[in-house]
Amino acid sequence: MPAVKETIDDVRQLEADKYKYGFTTEIEQDMAPKGLNEDIVRFISAKKNEPDWMLEWRLEAFKRWKEMEEPTWAKVKFPKFDYQDAYYYAAPKMGATYKSIDDVPAEILETYEKLGIPLREAEVLLGVEGAGNTTAAEARESDTPTRKVAVDAVFDSVSVATTFKKELAKAGVIFMPISEALQEHPDLVRQYLGSVVPVTDNFYATLNSAVFSDGSFVYVPPGVRCPMELSTYFRMNAQGTGQFERTLIIVDKGGYASYLEGCTAPMRDENQLHAAVVELVALDDAEIKYSTVQNWWPGDENGKGGVYNFVTKRADCRGKNSKVSWTQVETGSAITWKYPSCILKGDNSQGEFYSIAVTNGHQQADTGTKMIHLGKNTKSRIIAKGISAGKSDQTYRGLVSIHAKATGSRNFTQCDSLLIGDQCGAHTVPYIEAKTPKAVLEHEATTSKLSEDQLFYARQRGLSEEAAVALLVNGFCREVLQELPMEFAVEAQKLLSVSLEGSVG
Amino acid sequence: MTKLMTATPLEMALLKDLPRQDPVRQRLLDHGMPHRRVEEWKYSDLRRLSGPVESQGKISVKSARTLMSVPVAQKHSPSFMAALALSLGDEGLAFAVAAEAQETLSLELSATAGRAHKVLRFELGKGAKLTLHEIYRAHAGAFANILIQIVLGEGAELIRVIEQDDAPDALLVVTSDIELSPKARLHQTTLGAGAKLARLETHVTHQGEGAEADINGAYLIAAERHLDQTTFVRHCGPHGVTREIFKGAARAHGKGVFQGKILVEQGAQKTDAQMQHRAMLLDERAEIDVKPELEIYADDVACAHGNAMGHLDEDVLFYMRQRGLSEAEARTLLTESFLLDPLERIPDEALRTRLLGQLQTRLRGQS
Repeated sequence: MPAVKETIDDVRQLEADKYKYGFTTEIEQDMAPKGLNEDIVRFISAKKNEPDWMLEWRLEAFKRWKEMEEPTWAKVKFPKFDYQDAYYYAAPKMGATYKSIDDVPAEILETYEKLGIPLREAEVLLGVEGAGNTTAAEARESDTPTRKVAVDAVFDSVSVATTFKKELAKAGVIFMPISEALQEHPDLVRQYLGSVVPVTDNFYATLNSAVFSDGSFVYVPPGVRCPMELSTYFRMNAQGTGQFERTLIIVDKGGYASYLEGCTAPMRDENQLHAAVVELVALDDAEIKYSTVQNWWPGDENGKGGVYNFVTKRADCRGKNSKVSWTQVETGSAITWKYPSCILKGDNSQGEFYSIAVTNGHQQADTGTKMIHLGKNTKSRIIAKGISAGKSDQTYRGLVSIHAKATGSRNFTQCDSLLIGDQCGAHTVPYIEAKTPKAVLEHEATTSKLSEDQLFYARQRGLSEEAAVALLVNGFCREVLQELPMEFAVEAQKLLSVSLEGSVG
Repeated sequence: MTKLMTATPLEMALLKDLPRQDPVRQRLLDHGMPHRRVEEWKYSDLRRLSGPVESQGKISVKSARTLMSVPVAQKHSPSFMAALALSLGDEGLAFAVAAEAQETLSLELSATAGRAHKVLRFELGKGAKLTLHEIYRAHAGAFANILIQIVLGEGAELIRVIEQDDAPDALLVVTSDIELSPKARLHQTTLGAGAKLARLETHVTHQGEGAEADINGAYLIAAERHLDQTTFVRHCGPHGVTREIFKGAARAHGKGVFQGKILVEQGAQKTDAQMQHRAMLLDERAEIDVKPELEIYADDVACAHGNAMGHLDEDVLFYMRQRGLSEAEARTLLTESFLLDPLERIPDEALRTRLLGQLQTRLRGQS
């Protein structure tokens, strides 16, 4: 098919434009010296003016981390990361905190505008439209009614701006950088930090515990339905840095919160490390919806550079009737190692995991979820869609475990993989464990290629091959896209098409 | 990290059995017996479940036909248990079916108490057909490790039926290594009961083009037994077909494990592979762990796996009791109908009838 060849060549020329977030922002950075040792941990803690217990906590984590070994069970291959050859703290030089959004350096605001995160406009426009020339903004122009989204923006190691704080405070919702929460609500942080992902949970989580610099903190008080979507935008900018954000979300009895997360990084030919920890706590009757669009720089067409995305995300459905729903669209990163999980402790609690993962080029992803059923009548639902193209390798790895006391539990899992091209791999590795006769578990997995008939039909209707593939892939992912909040869904659809460019043939 | 710290009594004994220069001995020293930290043995910790096995045991093979004694050709195997059998299985037994010939072979393999290893080899020539019936009996105190090597020539057909009898105090590992030449057909069915630990591990390689493999199994795990059925199917040639249907049930403190892996290599386009596992937990404190796995490197394939686990339908049970069946009878009948499917697919009528009868007997014996 020569037409396909042409398309591929065209796209190849556009390679540099494909990843539109690959720019860097020239700002002065305040950086900790390279390498990792106890002094760096103390340095980060001091920078944040943290209470003593927090420093102790970090040092303990660091001590344990030194004894741990990097996990090797995931189906990903990469040269060993030199943990001493990275910066663990980088902050824009302008003083550690900003009194108002006007104090934020203009360069950073511009960066966010390029990303479609309109911090400056937010307070004026009560929403998110019209913020410059990006996919996100274009997407929103179309038909979305004005919706409020409170944004916390994290630039390398620090949170640079949080919008709508006042309005949220009126509702009693705390939404702020975790470094601020440590100053203003130390007891809350201390009570919940590390209670879902223990300090020594795994190699990357322990590293994060030692060196995390910022992230978001959310507390929704009992009975409060958070009046707007909460959102964090993560951006890695400085060269040779890692990002270690820590997010902690607590929704108290009967509360509700929806949280969105987006990530990008500049194009660099080195590998940057992203090792985040996200902890969610849902108490009785509480509900948390957590959505991610992950678009870290995936590396160039030869597999050089790109972000190592080693993330630990876990939700604790601690209360009765609580519910946590994870939705993720993973298109970026050179290597992904990520398993957002739910511990269904409370009776009648529910966990959901909806995932789309796209790998192209030389990307490798090992991602999935864990649903641990401990309480009675707990329910979980997993829908995972994986698309592999180019020379990429993708694995769905998931665990569903029903403990003896989790009577009346129910699980449904569906993982579908789509292969585009004969140089890629798609793998499914589910672990299913049942320890009570009073539970029902179902699991289905399929692997196939795009249907020639459907492609042919779409092309007959005048769509180009690329557009036809994008359409079919969107159809394949529909069940997951539906779960995303409106603005994200539109952005995610575009992202899917962009990620698969050059993959047909 | 997996360095052997303190050898278990069985490991000590095996270290004594193995010659000093044997590479398997080094593997045992380095890693010990397979245990739960080894991914393939995650749910069946042979190291933990094996108590001391003091004496040397024996595996006797009873058959109406004569099997040839052949020296075991030292051959490396990635599977530790297979490598161990190759090292310690004193003499191998072989059976060959000439090209285009048809044969039927029935074997009864009994293991006495003690450590014993055995290697059996079957070769089917081009277009040959073999109906092979294996019955495994392991007596109390046995640690029986058996390797079965089967090579199917082009267009050859093998109907293989395996019965594993209940063996409460025995450890039994049967590793089967089956190679399929182009257009060869394998039809394998197992009926398992479990032991202190029983593992029926089947490796099938589609070497050539257009081979077909049906790998089915039914299991009924009695109280306190452990049965592991692991299959690993590798598609190397194009147009291969694999069908797997496993159905099982477990009683109190019984543990069932099903691990099924299908690997499709880059050249194996047009592979059609499907795997189904369904199981019921019949009592409290029963456990079933499942790991169906797909590893796919070819894009023009149709692969799927499904798994469902649950319990007897209370409504159906109620209906049957309304019809005058006792609860026990109703349960037995429903369990039987649930487990029938894989056995009903046995192409050989006599063997099919036999295994269906076996299932009934086992069910009635337990209720």
